[in-house]
Amino acid sequence: MDAERRIQELRSRLTYIRDIFAGKENDNIRLLAAKLDEVLGREDERSGSVLPEELTRLEDFFDFSERKLDSILSPMDRVRIVRHSQRVCLKDILENVYDNYTEIGGRGEFNIDPSMLIARAYFARRVGDKIINQMVMVIGQEKGHGEAFRNGGSVKPWGNAKALHYMKVAETENIPIHTFVFTPGAYPIEDWPGAAQQIARNLYELAALKVPIISVFSEGGSGGAEAVGLADRRIMLSHGYYSVISPEGAAAIEGRLRGGDRATPELIEKCATNLCITAEDNLKNGYIDRILQEPPLGARPNHYEFFRELRRELIQATNEVVSEVKAMKLYRAMLVRTSKADDAESIFMRWTLSPSALGRLVDLRQRKFRKMSTHARLDGTGIVKRAVAATKGAIWATHSYFRYDLLGRQKKRLDAVFEDIGAEAHLVRRKLLMPLKNTLDKVFSGNDVEQIRKGEEVRKKLTRLSCPEDGACLVGSEWAWTSPRSQEDRTISCPNVRTHHCPDLWVPDLFGDFAGVCSSCGHHFPMEYRWYLENVFDYHRSKEFNRRIESVNPLNYEQFDLKLDKAKEKTGLKSACITFETAIEGVEAVVAVLCAPFRGGSVGAAEGEKFIRAAELAGRKRQPFIAYVHGTAGIRIQEGVNGVIQMPRCTIAVRRYIDAGGLYLVLYDTNSYAGPVASFLGCSPYQFAVQSSNIGFAGPGVIAETTGMDIAPDYHRAYHALSRGHIHGIWDRREVKKNLHQSLLTMGGRNLYYR
Amino acid sequence: MRVDRHKVLIANRGEIAMRVMRSCQRLGLEFVCVRTAEDEYSGHVGLARELAGDDSVYTIVSYLDSNELFSVADAAGATAVHPGYGFFAEDFRFARRVVKRDRPMDFIGPSWWVIRDLGDKINTKRIARSLGVPTVPGSDRPVYSELEAEEIASSLFEFQSSQGITEGVIMVKASAGGGGMGIEEVGNFDEFRSVFRRTRNYAKRNFGDEGVLIEQRIFDFNHLEVQIVSERGGKKHVHFGTRNCSVQSSGKQKRIEIAPGFAPGVVPYSFDASKVLRDITQHSLTMAMESGYDNVGTWEWIVTPKGEPFLMEVNTRIQVENGVSGVISRIDGKPVDIITEQIRLALGETLGYGQENIGFDGVGIEYRLVAEDTDNRFTPCAGTINHFSWKNQDWLDVYTQVPTDRDYDIPMEFDPNLALAIVWGKDLVEAKARGLQFLDELVLTGEAGGKPDNFNTNISYLKAKTGSLLEF
Repeated sequence: MDAERRIQELRSRLTYIRDIFAGKENDNIRLLAAKLDEVLGREDERSGSVLPEELTRLEDFFDFSERKLDSILSPMDRVRIVRHSQRVCLKDILENVYDNYTEIGGRGEFNIDPSMLIARAYFARRVGDKIINQMVMVIGQEKGHGEAFRNGGSVKPWGNAKALHYMKVAETENIPIHTFVFTPGAYPIEDWPGAAQQIARNLYELAALKVPIISVFSEGGSGGAEAVGLADRRIMLSHGYYSVISPEGAAAIEGRLRGGDRATPELIEKCATNLCITAEDNLKNGYIDRILQEPPLGARPNHYEFFRELRRELIQATNEVVSEVKAMKLYRAMLVRTSKADDAESIFMRWTLSPSALGRLVDLRQRKFRKMSTHARLDGTGIVKRAVAATKGAIWATHSYFRYDLLGRQKKRLDAVFEDIGAEAHLVRRKLLMPLKNTLDKVFSGNDVEQIRKGEEVRKKLTRLSCPEDGACLVGSEWAWTSPRSQEDRTISCPNVRTHHCPDLWVPDLFGDFAGVCSSCGHHFPMEYRWYLENVFDYHRSKEFNRRIESVNPLNYEQFDLKLDKAKEKTGLKSACITFETAIEGVEAVVAVLCAPFRGGSVGAAEGEKFIRAAELAGRKRQPFIAYVHGTAGIRIQEGVNGVIQMPRCTIAVRRYIDAGGLYLVLYDTNSYAGPVASFLGCSPYQFAVQSSNIGFAGPGVIAETTGMDIAPDYHRAYHALSRGHIHGIWDRREVKKNLHQSLLTMGGRNLYYR
Repeated sequence: MRVDRHKVLIANRGEIAMRVMRSCQRLGLEFVCVRTAEDEYSGHVGLARELAGDDSVYTIVSYLDSNELFSVADAAGATAVHPGYGFFAEDFRFARRVVKRDRPMDFIGPSWWVIRDLGDKINTKRIARSLGVPTVPGSDRPVYSELEAEEIASSLFEFQSSQGITEGVIMVKASAGGGGMGIEEVGNFDEFRSVFRRTRNYAKRNFGDEGVLIEQRIFDFNHLEVQIVSERGGKKHVHFGTRNCSVQSSGKQKRIEIAPGFAPGVVPYSFDASKVLRDITQHSLTMAMESGYDNVGTWEWIVTPKGEPFLMEVNTRIQVENGVSGVISRIDGKPVDIITEQIRLALGETLGYGQENIGFDGVGIEYRLVAEDTDNRFTPCAGTINHFSWKNQDWLDVYTQVPTDRDYDIPMEFDPNLALAIVWGKDLVEAKARGLQFLDELVLTGEAGGKPDNFNTNISYLKAKTGSLLEF
C-alpha cells in the first residue's frame, strides 16, 4: 500500500515536470521517465515486486533531477510553474503559515468575488512564558488550485473594492496587512466600479495607508497585482513572476495578431525572456526587496519546509518595517537588522504603532518608491541646469512655506474676522441712513432735467461696448492653431451618419473652425495634441521643463531601440510626456500632457518621472496640477516592470500633492486605457473627458480574449464612463478652455490652491 | 477673366433663381441651375430650359446639401456661384468653401469674412457700437453671470422709465437660439431673476450654450431698410435709398415693402422723418465703409414712435424686396437692376458711378402674394392653383415661379411666396391707387383639399393694408 502511494507520488511528480516544460525534450526528463517506466513495468508484472530501497533510490534520483532541472528553468517555464494548479495557493498559506485564521467574506463561491480572499489571522508568539497572538489582515488573490469559480485569481472590480474595504479596517484596527499577489491580471470589466477605477482607488489608498504592509509576490500580473501590491516590503517567491503583461499578451502585440490567432510558443518564450519577469531580474532592478527561495521546481502544498520559511520571512519583514519607525526599539531593532530570517521567531516586537510612527512609516514608503527606476530613463539635463532647477525648487519651497503655510494661514484668519465685521457694519449703516435717503429722494424727485440727464447717462452705459479694447470682435471660431489637416479640399463622412443623418463635412471647416467636431451631431474627431497645447494651454507662452528626460530601452528589448528612435524623430519629443508651467486665462497651473503619437502615449520610466516631477513642482509652487491625456495605450510593455512600477510611483506623487492641499484635474481625450487610467489618472477626484473619447481598462480585443465577452462598440465611450462614475463630466472640445478655467475657479480656493 | 466668360451656378429656386437668370442673360453670362424632384414644374426650371437649354438644369436631392452643389458646379464647369437668398446665402462657411476649394470659384455676395462678421447679430451690434451707430439698448454679448444680467436689466428698466415708458418690457433671449425660440418678456424687475434662470436653463438644454441676451422691447416700431451696394475691395459704397417693411405677418414675414422709407411732406409724422432717413443712410454707409463691405447688402433699422432709429441687423445678401428699390432708383436717369449690379460687382467689375449719379423717382410698392389664411395666424395653405393671371401694365412687374398655363401644386417644403408684384407710381397717391388696381384685376384661384372655398390668399389683406402705407 505504501509502495503504491509512493509510486503514485512519483508519477504525479513526473507529470508535473512534463507540464512545466510543456513538452520540451530534455535528457533529464527522458531519463526520469525511463527509470520510472522500468520500475512500473516490473510492478505491473507482479505487485509488490518493487523494493522500498529501490523506491527510495528512485525518489533520490527524482530529487536530484528536479534540482538539476530547476537550474535550467526558462522564464516561460516559471510562468507555467506559477500557473500550475499544483502551485501553492493562498488557502494553503493561511493554513500552514498562520496559526489560526478566519476567512472573511463568504464560503467558496458564495462570495462577492471568490478570487479575492480576505482573512484575519494571527501568529502565536512565545515571549518568555507568555503566548501573544499577533494579529494581521491577510489580503490576496486566491487561485484555488484551478477551481473554476476562482477565475484563476483574476479579480473583478468589486473584489478589489472588498480588499480596499478591509485595508481600511486594518488601518482602523492598527494591525499590519499581509498581501499575497497571485493574479494573472485584473478582470477587465467596466461596471460600477470599473476595473481601472477600482485599482486606481486601491492604489490611491495604499499610497498613504497608515499600517505596515508586507506583500508576497507569486504571480504579479500588471494592474491586478498593483491593486494589493503597493507595500513597505515586497517579498517575491523565487519561482514567481512579476510583469507588465502576460508573455502571451506581449507576443500577441509583438506579432501584431488579430483576434483568434495564437502566437507561436517560440515567440511567447522570447517575449517572456525579453520582459525580464523573474524574481532575480526584479530584485536587480530594485522593485522587490527580497527573494524567498522555493523548493526545486516551485512550491507545492506538501512543501511544509517552504511554509516555515515563509512564516519566518513574513515575521522578519514585518519586524523590520515596524522597527524602522518605532520609537521604542533599542536593542531589538539592531538585532532585527542583523539577524538572519532563522532568528525572526525569537525577536518579539509589538506591531501596533503610534500615530507619529505611522506617519513616518507612510513617508518612508513614499520615499522608497520615489527612488525607484532611475536606471530606466535617461536624464540629459546638464549639470548647471540641474543645479539651477534644484536651487529654484528650494527657493520655491521656502517661499511657498512662508507665504502659504505661515503667513497665509494668519492672513486667512484675519480676513475672516474683517469680513464679518464689515458685513455687520454694512447692515448697521444701512439701517441708520435709509430714512434720510428716502426723505431726500421725496424732496428732490420733481426735477425733470435731472431725470433726463440720468436717462442719457444710463443709455450711454447701455450702449457702450462691454469690451471696448478689442472693438469689433470676430465671431466664429478663431483658433490659435489649426490642424494641418485643414488644408485639404475633401469631405469626410461623420461616423454617426446613419443615426443622425449628418451631412458630409468639408475638411477645412471640420478641422479648422469646428475643431474636429461634427456640426450636426457633435461627434468629436480625434485632434492633434498641439491643438490643445496652443488653444487651451497657451503652449507658446508657457515654460516647459524637464525637456531632456528621455525614454530609453532599459530591458534591451529586441528592436525597441529602433522603434523608439522612430517615435522620437516623428514627434520631436524625447518621451510621451510633456510638462510645462502655464496660465489658463490668468490662472497659473502646472500641466502634464501624455501625447498619443509617441508610442501610443504609453507610460514608461521617463514619462513617470516627468509626471512625478511636475506634481512635485505644482506642490512646491502651490499651483493647480492638470493632467491632459491626449491618449494613452497603457504602460509601455517593452519597459517591463520599469513601466508597471510607475503606477504606484505616480500615484504616490499625486497622493502627496493632494494631501498637501493641491487641486488635481484630469482631462481625457481620444483613447485612454489600462495602467495609467488604473492608477495616477483614475485616482483624481476630478476627471473630465472630451466628448467621443474612450476610457477604460482593456481594449475590446483583450476583453474578448480574457472574458469571452463581445462588447458593444461604445462600451468605453465617455458617456458610459460618466454613467459608471469613473469620470465626472464630459466637455465639448471647443469649450475645454472655458470649462477648465471655470473649474479652476470653482474648485480651487482663494489662491486656487489651498482648500 | 472678363465678366461674360463666367458660368454661374444658381444655387437656389423659384422667383429669385428666375431673376438671377434674367440678370445673367442681360450680362451675357452662361448659367446652370439646380432643382429637386418636387420642383419639376417650378417656373425657374422652365425659364432655365428656355434660356440656356435642357442641359442647364441639374437634379439634386436637396438645396441644402453643399457637397451636392459643388459636384454639380464641377460637373458643369461653373466658375461662380449665386446663392440667392435663404439656403446658403448667409453661410460664411459656404462662401469660404467656394473660394478656398482646390478649384476655386467666385462667390456672388460679400466676401466670406464680411458675412462672418456681420452675419452674427451680436457681433454686428458690437461693430455698430464701436462706430457710434445706435443699437437697441441691452447686452452686446451673451451674459452668463446672474449678477451682471441683473445689473443690465435694472438699468434697462431705468432707461425706459426715463423715456417716459410707464410699463416697460425687456426681452430675455437665448443668444444661441433663433427663430423666436427661447425668448421671454419681463414686465418688472422682480420677475427678472426667475425668467433669467429659466431662459438660461432652456438655452443650456436646447442650444448647449447658456449665454443669454437682454434687450429692450420696442413697441409700435417701423421697420426700415437701407440698400447698400459696394464694389469688391470694400472701398467704394453707394446706397439705393430706403424701404419701409413694416407690414409683416405674425411670423415677422414681410408682406408689403415700399420705397422710399418715409414720405415726409405727404404723410404727417410726429418727428423729422427726412432727418431719420438721412441718419440711417449715413450710418449704414459709414458702417459699410468701416467693415469693408464688398457687395450688395441691406441694413435693417427699427424706428421708434419718437423717431429714434436703432440698428437691428445687417443682411449680407440680396433680398426679396431689392426690386422695389430698383424701381425707384435711376443711374444717370437710367433704371437699375440691383441683382445685375450685384453679379457684375461680385465678378470684379468696378462701380463706374458715384452717389451723385444716383437719383430717385417716384414710389414703389411690392406685394408678396402668399397662399395663407390671414385671419388665422397666417397659416400657410396647401393646395393647387388653377388659374393665375394679371393685366400687364408698364408700371407693373410680376415675378413668379408659378406657371400661368397649367395647374400648380404649392410645394410645402419651401417659402410660401407665390409671386412678387412691384408697382410704380410717380407719388405715393398714384402708387397706392395703382397697387389697388393691380390687386383688383388680379385673378388667383385654386383649391385646397378639393374645395375652392378652402383656398385662401392674402389679397384682401394686402388691399386693406395699402391704404395706411407709410403712416406711422
